[in-house]
Amino acid sequence: MSVVQEAARLQHPAKHATRRLHPSRWLLAIFGAVCLMAAAAPMASAASADLPAAPASCQALQAKYPALKGKTLVDAINPHTPGYEALDPNDPSQYVGFDIDLAKELGACLGFNVTYNSVSFAALLPTLQSGQADIVISDIYATAERAKAADFITYSKVFDGVLVANGNPKKITGINTSLCGTTAAENTGFVEVPLIQNLAGACKAKGQPVPQLQLYDNNADCIQAILAGRADTYINDVNTVDQAVKAYPSQLSKATAVTLPYSIGIAVPKGNMEMRGAVMAALSDLQKAGVESVLLKKWSLDAGTLAAPKLITG
Amino acid sequence: MTLFLHYLGLSYLLQGISVTLEVTCLGLAGGLLAGFVLASMQLSRFHLLSGLARTYTVIFRGTPLILQLVFAYDALPHIGLRLSPMAAAGLALAANEAPFIAEILRAGVRGVDAGQVTAGQALGMTPFVLMCRVIAPQAIRMMVPALGNEAVTALKNSSLASVIAVQELTLRSTQLASATFDFFSIFFASGVMYLLLTGAVTALQIFAEVMLDLDRPSPRERLRRLLPGRRAPVPDAPVRPAALHGTPPEADLDAEESAPDLGISAAQRAAREHALAGNPVAVEVRGLHKQYGANAVLGGIDLSVRAGEVVALLGPSGSGKSTLLRCINHLEDWDGGEIRIGGRRIGYREDGRKLAARALAQERAGVGVGMVFQQFNLFSHLSARENIAGPLRWVHGVAAPEADRRALELLARVGLSHRADALPRHLSGGQQQRVAIARALAPNPTVLMLDEPTSALDPELVSEVLDVIRRLALEDGLTMIISTHQLRFARDVADRVVFLAGGAVVEEGPAQDMFTRPRHPLTARFLKVMGAKLATEIPA
Repeated sequence: MSVVQEAARLQHPAKHATRRLHPSRWLLAIFGAVCLMAAAAPMASAASADLPAAPASCQALQAKYPALKGKTLVDAINPHTPGYEALDPNDPSQYVGFDIDLAKELGACLGFNVTYNSVSFAALLPTLQSGQADIVISDIYATAERAKAADFITYSKVFDGVLVANGNPKKITGINTSLCGTTAAENTGFVEVPLIQNLAGACKAKGQPVPQLQLYDNNADCIQAILAGRADTYINDVNTVDQAVKAYPSQLSKATAVTLPYSIGIAVPKGNMEMRGAVMAALSDLQKAGVESVLLKKWSLDAGTLAAPKLITG
Repeated sequence: MTLFLHYLGLSYLLQGISVTLEVTCLGLAGGLLAGFVLASMQLSRFHLLSGLARTYTVIFRGTPLILQLVFAYDALPHIGLRLSPMAAAGLALAANEAPFIAEILRAGVRGVDAGQVTAGQALGMTPFVLMCRVIAPQAIRMMVPALGNEAVTALKNSSLASVIAVQELTLRSTQLASATFDFFSIFFASGVMYLLLTGAVTALQIFAEVMLDLDRPSPRERLRRLLPGRRAPVPDAPVRPAALHGTPPEADLDAEESAPDLGISAAQRAAREHALAGNPVAVEVRGLHKQYGANAVLGGIDLSVRAGEVVALLGPSGSGKSTLLRCINHLEDWDGGEIRIGGRRIGYREDGRKLAARALAQERAGVGVGMVFQQFNLFSHLSARENIAGPLRWVHGVAAPEADRRALELLARVGLSHRADALPRHLSGGQQQRVAIARALAPNPTVLMLDEPTSALDPELVSEVLDVIRRLALEDGLTMIISTHQLRFARDVADRVVFLAGGAVVEEGPAQDMFTRPRHPLTARFLKVMGAKLATEIPA
């Protein structure tokens, strides 16, 4: 019986007195109809146009690491970092950025396809550990601490920028005692968090208040914290900071850039030797063929960040 | 503004709506299912089941949804259960919704008037029939607003699924904001989208409430209201039963004037006594004991009622009158003694073990004991006609047209043909009690028990009910046990009066004798106190 018929029938209680007890039926029908309308809309992965072709040496790698060939790997990303990974503003169904291209290049070299799993920054490694993702290429710094959760193959040096309000009213000069008495916005799980916390001793020694931290979930929230006057600085990858300044030239500026003793790395599950070896070898070949340099240029990233791959395991 | 409109129509965000709806539907559907199971467990008699359900409720109501989402997504794979983001979100949301929905279901079920449940039991409904026909229809009406609330909550809670990579509206909005830096246009647009969704839920809720409203006028009625020069309908105009059905004229029980005197002369009374003595025993109570904790309510009651006999139970409040009636209908268990109706021992199987709830209901329907309650206990969601016809169909399997015919016939007998389609709340107390009597009579009971049938009525409504009962006794020869405080009525109608005090029969005998020559001092004192009120209490 249709919803309409059922409703009409219910309007004649006298005629249908004996059937009056099923008013819940059409409620169920409406509920079901709403549920049917809600169809899944899976995220398409971007087309691989205008990318450098995979070097010839990749054929040998595919023969050496056959397990990855023809697979579709899930890449966990925190797509809030324009330049590295973010939605394409012109086509929000696509992710774009240096990391996205790098994943595609690795896939083209080793013969796998990539789909993306968008999670918060702090959830990147847990997602990998639980098997909900196969690889993490998301501007994540390969620290010894993180290497306890995953194996890293590094692909870039780290330069941090110090994002402040225009004119740098708190005179912040880097991750040093100039941060005493200020409030920094950071994402949960960022390496900058302990670096800022470790300033507490130095600030106390100078008789100044310790730096305060506000923890958020993505770059956008951190940038908003400065725009809203809640935080004085946001220290993160220099490219992210540059993008923010570009978006808000009258409100934000980059106080300075600092070098951190870290590298950016691709995380793969611990103990998966084949995966680790394949990514390491492919990355090495891509760098030698100049592919990574092309990508750095394409995304306006500092060519000086390029560094030979290293393996970091905990 | 342009940006805002751009994002409002952006298909990327619109697709997020469908994902949001999908998570919400999974959560609500799963939550309803699990909530139904949880509520059933909590309402169960088995302590283990209700304990398990409570433990679940404590855990899942007491931990944040965001943790449950992360658990379903990141922890379950470690035990080999790798769910997709959507499935994990649906599972976590359902698990989180279940205890809340279970509480709504439980509150709805418990909110149904206990008197109606008792009345359903007394009519011989099995627990299942009672749930489907009496409890659920009323509970659902009470639950709609709370369920609407819960649906809105679930819809908003689905945004938390963004932490486990479900591409719903919130995740899409934050990602888009990160990529474009257009924070406010995007969040305003997604805010408006959420508002439209929750607004739709609210509209559905209001629609459901209107559709379930028992007082909703019919389409014809609404049309008539729109027409010019309409006249207010006259729904309460009494229609003479005789004019409708061609049955002999009856006393108009709605009339204000006193009913015709149906009392009988001494000679008639003697003849009746003689006739009754030869009748078989209809109800036999032997050594009935019952106590609540240390407090004995019935201390060894013996009572024997012959077919066609009318017995009045008198006695002060708390003397055990109601409890005795409820035991005879087995609405209460007892601790000692036995009850036989038509020679059949009730409450026990052939092998002497106690009957289960379902078998008990069937026994009640089988032995034919009707019950009328002080508070009427009509099923408030059903019309007068359905209150009578419904139980006939559900308990006795009478075909719908036949049940309806019987209901109208009985309503005519109690002078309420013109109120057949009225809901109980639109009837006066006296009319409700008359419907309740008709309902109890519908299955042709061998014994009718009336538990203070006029005590809850306004004084001016007492006589219309007493007249109905009087006519049942004298014209139909129905076996009746009536607990009452109406002394004159007892004297006029009852063949025998049983005086109870402190859970024991103090004195019993022919009505006339006991009223004029009480032997026991307790009886005498009671009659004296009540007699003083007699003149004012009975309008007849």
